[in-house]
Amino acid sequence: MTLAAKLLAAEEGAYNPLMPHTYELVIGSFAFAVVAFFLIKVLTPRIQKTLQERTEAIEGGILKAEKAQAEAAALQQQYREQLNEARTEAARLREEAREQAAQLKAELREEAQAEARRIIDAAHAQIEADRQQAFSQLRTEIGRLSTDLAGRIVGESLEDEARQRRTIDRFLDELEGSAPAVR
Amino acid sequence: MSEQERRPEDDGRDFADAAWSAPSYVLSGIAIYGGLGWLLDRWLGTSALFPIGVVLGVVLSVYLFYRKYGR
Amino acid sequence: MNALTLLASDPDKFTPPTPQELFELPPIGGIYWLTKPVILAVLTSIIVIVFCWSAFAKPKLVPRGIQNVGEIGYMFVRDQVARPFLGKDADRWMGLLLSMFFMIWVWNLMGVIPFIQFPVASHIAFPAVLAITVYVIKIFLGVKHQGGIGYFKNMMFPPGIPKGMYVLLAPLEFASNMILAPFTHMVRLFANMFAGHMLLAFFSMVGFWFLFEKLTPLGAAVGVLGVVMTIVFTALELLIQFLQAYLFAMLAAMYIGGALHAEH
Repeated sequence: MTLAAKLLAAEEGAYNPLMPHTYELVIGSFAFAVVAFFLIKVLTPRIQKTLQERTEAIEGGILKAEKAQAEAAALQQQYREQLNEARTEAARLREEAREQAAQLKAELREEAQAEARRIIDAAHAQIEADRQQAFSQLRTEIGRLSTDLAGRIVGESLEDEARQRRTIDRFLDELEGSAPAVR
Repeated sequence: MSEQERRPEDDGRDFADAAWSAPSYVLSGIAIYGGLGWLLDRWLGTSALFPIGVVLGVVLSVYLFYRKYGR
Repeated sequence: MNALTLLASDPDKFTPPTPQELFELPPIGGIYWLTKPVILAVLTSIIVIVFCWSAFAKPKLVPRGIQNVGEIGYMFVRDQVARPFLGKDADRWMGLLLSMFFMIWVWNLMGVIPFIQFPVASHIAFPAVLAITVYVIKIFLGVKHQGGIGYFKNMMFPPGIPKGMYVLLAPLEFASNMILAPFTHMVRLFANMFAGHMLLAFFSMVGFWFLFEKLTPLGAAVGVLGVVMTIVFTALELLIQFLQAYLFAMLAAMYIGGALHAEH
């Protein structure tokens, strides 16, 4: 200890940078206290409040943006759904129309076919009637012509009605017997 | 040595903690055990205890430092 | 002292500046306490308060002008100093940490401002005031949050150490936390500013002496070197000044954080 004391004594009067001056301690404390007072009590709370508000404002902004984005997405979804709906509706209508058209076409075809059949049938009936008429006319005509012809060829008048008629009928029967083969 | 709730900044803090308390540990080791050796030297009339004390102080402070921060 | 005075008495020889010349400054106007560092300390307080007032007194949501600059400082202290060591308690200690950071930085800057050129923190009383403040807060918070016995028990008996070693290590922990931590906290800032001022003064005096007082062909080169070194060391000093302010605030946050929560 005496060594240290001696050292201190030798340095007496010389500058010792590790020994603080009392007045500097006092004034330093005062200088620091004033700064600390202003910063702790007044200024730091203010800037902290503002920073907090800024954080909240930014977070609020983000929240708002998120909300707007969600809204836009919902709207888009809605539009898409509507569009899909419209598309299915259109497809449905088209299908319906196609079905109706097909049905109509089938009906018309059937009608036309029936009409055609009717016309053909009528034509057939007409032809048959005409044929029958022609045939009966032809029959009397042929009979008369045959008698005439026969009378002339034979040279004898076949007065006998019964014989005449018998001959004609036989002839006609022969004719008819071959007729179905013709038809 | 509670290891729960370790956040990434804890590592940085521990590192700074270790880095800045190292000198004061070594200095206090030297001061305490060197001083003890010096006093014993004066009392016993020896001269070897002061350097032994200094070395012991350094070793102990390094040991303490290692146990606290070294793992 | 006598050797130095002998050298100083020789007017033809260059004499390096002594700590006494550089740091023991005469009082102004015969008032014993009114010295350059005292005036600069008061000036610093005024500068810091004016700056912070214009930056933070009426803060806008969208910062403008000086508020921008202030907020950069605030963000730096909050993100690099307070939050890493204090976590959720960071905001409560921002005022104190900001005061310390700004004050020390301006104190230090006084060392390179032309015509002022005196770092306030190179007088140990000024760092001592701040270190003692942190020390008192540290012990107060430690006792408040961990209990009078608990605080010292947590400090001196850290977990994870063999029982027998506590006999040797407990006094070491006590001395480290209670005596050397605040001492190094104070001395680190003081010594950096002290040495920085010495170096700057030395190199600028070399330049001044060899270029203006005794200009010789050979000495001119030395003088130029002195000027170059002055410029280089001024740049370096600017970095160190900022770094020391940051470190001091960081250690303050570290001590406060350690007192709030027991070591894990």
